[in-house]
Amino acid sequence: MDIIQQIDKWAEMTPDRVVYDYLGDTKTYKELKEYSDKIAQYLVGLNLQKKAPILVYGGQTFEMIATFLAIVKAGHSYIPVDSESPKERIMQIMEISQPVACIAIESFPLVLKEDVPLISKQMLEGILESEPSVFDVKQYQIKGDDVFYIIFTSGTTGMPKGVQISVNNLQSFLSWMKSDFGIVAGKTFLAQAAYSFDLSVMSIYPALTQGGRLAALPKKVTDNFKELFECLPRMELNIWVSTPSFMDICLLDKNFNEEEYPELTHFLFCGEELTKKTAQQLHERFSKASIYNTYGPTEATVAVSQVEVNETILKNYSRLPIGLAKEDTELIVVDENLDVLPNNNAGELLIIGPSVSKGYLNNPEKTANAFVKFQGKFAYRTGDLAEINDEGQLLYHGRVDFQVKLHGFRIELEEVDHHLGQVSLIKQATCAPKYDVNHKVSQIVAYVVAKENDYPSDFSLTKAIKEELTTLMMPYMIPQKFVYVDSLPLTNNGKVDRKKILHEVNC
Amino acid sequence: MKEQIIEILQDLTGSEEVAKNLDVNLFDTGLLDSMATVQLLLELQSQCNIDVPVSEFERSEWETPNKIIAKVESLQA
Repeated sequence: MDIIQQIDKWAEMTPDRVVYDYLGDTKTYKELKEYSDKIAQYLVGLNLQKKAPILVYGGQTFEMIATFLAIVKAGHSYIPVDSESPKERIMQIMEISQPVACIAIESFPLVLKEDVPLISKQMLEGILESEPSVFDVKQYQIKGDDVFYIIFTSGTTGMPKGVQISVNNLQSFLSWMKSDFGIVAGKTFLAQAAYSFDLSVMSIYPALTQGGRLAALPKKVTDNFKELFECLPRMELNIWVSTPSFMDICLLDKNFNEEEYPELTHFLFCGEELTKKTAQQLHERFSKASIYNTYGPTEATVAVSQVEVNETILKNYSRLPIGLAKEDTELIVVDENLDVLPNNNAGELLIIGPSVSKGYLNNPEKTANAFVKFQGKFAYRTGDLAEINDEGQLLYHGRVDFQVKLHGFRIELEEVDHHLGQVSLIKQATCAPKYDVNHKVSQIVAYVVAKENDYPSDFSLTKAIKEELTTLMMPYMIPQKFVYVDSLPLTNNGKVDRKKILHEVNC
Repeated sequence: MKEQIIEILQDLTGSEEVAKNLDVNLFDTGLLDSMATVQLLLELQSQCNIDVPVSEFERSEWETPNKIIAKVESLQA
């Protein structure tokens, strides 16, 4: 059955079942259907270019989810943009994607071109007050290879890339979520990740298509630990979905254990490396729960491999594996000439299968670089270094290029350099990741040659630089630490020697 | 103890300011984000031998080096 029909089915079968819980404010499946049908009807009435993308701006509220659904019902794809995003990034996303409309659940920080309608929260409320009418969803909805959502990731030249995920891509991901994790219908999922981050898809659609509930945990709560730990026990979660970094925060609370959270039966991790230490600690606290490590790039729809981290895995591996490919997908390790490598050899990982995206929106050049023909099949080059061992388990070894993960966010170091270079106080700069004992990136450190300035101390200079950076880049990309130098080390070719800085940062 | 805490903060923030100005607001100035706060708590637990009840971690009570020092001292007592 189609994703949209699967979700709507719950509104007929169990209209009063709660679908969304925002800190105790709940909405039902009936409300979800009514909301999304009405907005879809309205969108159809605007006569927008068919299948063209619509940008949605906001936080982790019910209105965001209901609007996503309305957009796909009306035959468009949606671009989720979190309200924490800086203006500059929103402008870039607008420029690349050319949305035919913007729906702003929070007040939109930009002025739009005259021919692009902006639908504000007030307007949405007006539309929702209209009498319910029957919306013939099947006549308009997207299907098959039509794009469902577009999620923007970081790009090397400072321009983000919009990954297009189709209905079929998402369907492949959802079938796997349903079959391989032992999750049954009607469960409550943690929705912690921002909706512009594709980890959130691991909560949203498995919950909605299976009559489950999304329990939102917005950033303003997670930032204040006291509030976080007051909130968590009240959410009655069954299925945990987060980055390992967020789990590290939760494990700080001694009461985060199976006695206090008896209904929490599944933990799903994605977005960055799950360290053995975190998994071990979690397993000690929740001995009866199933812990899954998953792996995948946004370009292949959230995740493509999984492994249940049990006693045997913990005993046999010093660094946790990232699992086996889902049934409909092939994971192949190749060398730089795209020749297949035998087991136990590390090389670049290729992904082939129905969840691989058709490419980046309006970016044929980047698409051609990353999406290639391999033995006659369409494959995505991940840029990740991996090997397959004799048990068939995939082992992750990092990146082939200058891309790192910090707290689950994908950061291209060259993009950080590019933004640093745009700061008025900086003459030249580069950056390097600092790794902790578990091979995880703990900080991005910037090395900066500053222009002459009147700042009395490095601290006040750093503060000014950071302030300027907030207008240019996502907050998670801004280096935590700034080191001021007279000049940057260069390689023989006269390029900035990042390796030397990398060594200095990590020695 | 005080020196040790300042050293931890310097290492986490990469800034001398935490040593110079013990009343600097670590969150408002962007010196500490929530993940760095986790690292801070872990360091304090292992180096200062204290048990920080994270469920009572009210951000405003930990926002300056001076406040952190006072907190750690009270937890050691």
